[in-house]
Amino acid sequence: MRDLVFAAINAALVKGARYADARVVESREEKVSVADGRVEAIESGDSFGIGVRAIVDGSWGFASSAEVTIESAERLGQQAVAIARASALVAGAPISLAEVEAYDTRWDAPCGIDPFSVSLEDKIALLLEADGAMRAEKAVKLTKAHLGFYRVHKYFGSSEGSYIEQGHTESGGGISALAIAEGEVLTRSYPNSHGGNWLQGGFEVIRGFDLVGHAPRVAEEAAALLTAAPCPSGVTDLIIDGSQLGLQVHESIGHPAELDRVLGDEAAFAGTSFLGVTDLGQLRYGSEHVTVTADATVAGSIGSFGFDDEGVPAQRDRLITRGTLTGFLTSRESARSISRTSNGCMRADGWNRIPLIRMTTVSLEPGDWSFDDLMADTDDGLYMETNNSWSIDDKRLNFQFACEIGWEINNGKRTRMVKNPNYTGITPKFWNSCDAVCSQDHWQVWGLPNCGKGEPVQIAHVAHGASPARFRGVRVGVGR
Amino acid sequence: MSRLTTAQARELAARVVALTEADAAEALVTSHEDSLTRFAENRIHQNVTEADARVSVRAVLGDRQGVASTNRLDDESLSACCAAAVTAASAAPADPNFPGLPAPEPVDTPARAAAAAGEFGPDRRAEAVHAIVQQCSSRLIKAAGGVASTLQTVAVGNSLGVDVGMETTSVRATVLARTDRGGSGWASYHGPDPAKLAADTLGDEAATLAQRSEYPTDLEPGAYTVVLAPEAVADIVDFLGYLGFSTRAFEEGRSFMSGRLGERIMSELVNISDDALAPEAFGLTFDFEGMPKRRVPIIENGVATDVVTDSYWGARTGRENTGHALPAPNPYGPMALDLKMDPGDATIDELIGSVERGVYVSRFHYVNVEDPVPATLTGMTRDGTFLIEDGALTAPLKNQRFTQGAVAALNAVRAVTRERAFFDVMLGSVLVPGLLIDTWEFTGQTG
Repeated sequence: MRDLVFAAINAALVKGARYADARVVESREEKVSVADGRVEAIESGDSFGIGVRAIVDGSWGFASSAEVTIESAERLGQQAVAIARASALVAGAPISLAEVEAYDTRWDAPCGIDPFSVSLEDKIALLLEADGAMRAEKAVKLTKAHLGFYRVHKYFGSSEGSYIEQGHTESGGGISALAIAEGEVLTRSYPNSHGGNWLQGGFEVIRGFDLVGHAPRVAEEAAALLTAAPCPSGVTDLIIDGSQLGLQVHESIGHPAELDRVLGDEAAFAGTSFLGVTDLGQLRYGSEHVTVTADATVAGSIGSFGFDDEGVPAQRDRLITRGTLTGFLTSRESARSISRTSNGCMRADGWNRIPLIRMTTVSLEPGDWSFDDLMADTDDGLYMETNNSWSIDDKRLNFQFACEIGWEINNGKRTRMVKNPNYTGITPKFWNSCDAVCSQDHWQVWGLPNCGKGEPVQIAHVAHGASPARFRGVRVGVGR
Repeated sequence: MSRLTTAQARELAARVVALTEADAAEALVTSHEDSLTRFAENRIHQNVTEADARVSVRAVLGDRQGVASTNRLDDESLSACCAAAVTAASAAPADPNFPGLPAPEPVDTPARAAAAAGEFGPDRRAEAVHAIVQQCSSRLIKAAGGVASTLQTVAVGNSLGVDVGMETTSVRATVLARTDRGGSGWASYHGPDPAKLAADTLGDEAATLAQRSEYPTDLEPGAYTVVLAPEAVADIVDFLGYLGFSTRAFEEGRSFMSGRLGERIMSELVNISDDALAPEAFGLTFDFEGMPKRRVPIIENGVATDVVTDSYWGARTGRENTGHALPAPNPYGPMALDLKMDPGDATIDELIGSVERGVYVSRFHYVNVEDPVPATLTGMTRDGTFLIEDGALTAPLKNQRFTQGAVAALNAVRAVTRERAFFDVMLGSVLVPGLLIDTWEFTGQTG
């Protein structure tokens, strides 16, 4: 692959590029899903191609193709240059990249049991058993269970002398039970909604989920939601479980901290950010209990890698330190605007996409509360688990989340179950209302394999570590 | 890699079907060239092109199915892909509801690809961006957006004789104009032909709206009469299609249509159909099983009339296959990808003119589902929200959050515009008018 990568780079340089890089990406995936005791999908696929970036006359160009030959690579190098030249008609300040060391190396994430070596029959049997365990609950009218596996190898080179090979395997899965009656659909999921949970690793990840063991509880809670009280409306104290809090971090800290959004590059699609570069070190984002890291070195997280897609090594950085904004997620280009080097957040959704600033494992660092103590310390409020839907404005300020299930808290005890709970807030006000975060014992990494951003839309695999936390005076039950 | 012609794609599909050692087989071939010039802060910051072709094989063994796909088109890789599909089918338990692959039916494949789309290269796209940016920068406004083209060939073949293929083109341009005083405006174009893209007009439209929306003010949460511009309506219709217009959702009791066919569930001014055959449509006329897409009247004069099917859900429910299959394997069920809402007889200005006090919404942002059966949605307004007072737009408003049942909203439609526009949405594209809705619940606003 080295020859192929540098054929593309050299072709771009010969045509006048000041900088060029090329990535060959080879990926493989498998999905198996079951619904209502029926196998709904068994699907495998692979993808192979090459993408070339070039800077010419201070502007970017990118060309990609599924044809992976020396001739195609050279043609793409030339095409990237031609596209970059066209960009110069509406050019801004010339592109300038922060320094990075040149690497010639290889990185591979550990993988226990190769998930592609496990038979389809075994995967189907596991799903059908979990699905059957949920269907034992009469009020559950629709059940779903799925597994997914993904493996990628990347070959990156740059005109600055880097050549990096890296690869990893991801495994994920989950189950859902839907109780349906009289115009209501109430869902419970495990280990998380919207695709379950995903981690780097092999089939041992799936075994660790114990989908079958959790199925009866999931079905029972879905059925119980049918007769649960509606979520009350008002302002109250709110305890949020780790999985939902992971998504809260994602939407109201991770995305607004992407420096390309801050600088306006995503304005027309996903939006901008309420943050500005001058907020760095100044803005009171949250309370002293809120420390947030971006860490591409968390073992087993799908937000981890050896190098990003610009050849920058994986790093751990602090975005928020005891409530104060202290960092952004950056690229080599954007890091220049805050006089820093890149903290390695550029990733592309395959060979046919340019790298964008993406989250790694963006985590709310654990506090020191036990969950039981936190509950006991809360006089009245709500506890919510597992995301059902999410929405946030184009500056990442006004958000509204709905969860699958909630319980009232009365005098320090979890009491009545409530259905269709939701809450809303304004980002910095919400994070400043955080007065307690549970400890490392309750902290878990939640893989999120479906983060959309950019045009054409790219799907990134990111993750969030979080433990349950409490927020004071939150508006709940919106529109209920 | 060059994009496959229709003949090449059909030939490839037939070859892959023949390679698959199964009782029956289906091949879906997609080949496309996508290009996008993206701009922000009045400069091009992203300029990309992509060429790919993909083959997806569905192998059938009795009533068992498996699917495999690849973008490696050499003989060895194609054979491996076919074998993987057969292996998957071998592992699958029997599905007694599987009706088998569909038999061929006549499909009309009109020439819908615009020749000019093939010549819409990086230089032409940059010229369009230049025209847009000029409209904004000359008024000290920041422009962002994109100019994109897609050239696509799709072919489907199966061992029962299905053999269809078609080329389509689409061009999309978006403009977000932002001022330093909080103004924000938007304009967009979606159509098959770059020759119909009036870039400077789009730039002017967005810039004018941005200037008009400066210094936005607060709005008290509550129920308001609203005038939704077509792009805002597009999101509502898109989500209705996702949540409720599929036979699968209907049969499973997850749709607001479930058990209500023949009942009036929306205003009698609302007529929604799925119609890939309409003269103004520019997408595929067959679904991903190669079946002809049929026009399906879904809401007629407010009455729930029908839902869309595919071969599986059609056979399972005894309904006619309306040609709305997604690519196999399809855990979502059939989907309406060419929704259109019939026009009314008013202009958008007449709608605004008829409102004593209300809110005008240019478009929505980040809409999501809070409760599926009443189709309760939440989302934000964006890029031009105004108070309407005594029949005229007055104060620009901060972006507002809504939490609103979509079915209830369409039951409160009081007037419909005659102008409609295409928008590409989460599921395919929609053709929709603007609407005047009596009551719409705003539940918060941006900070």
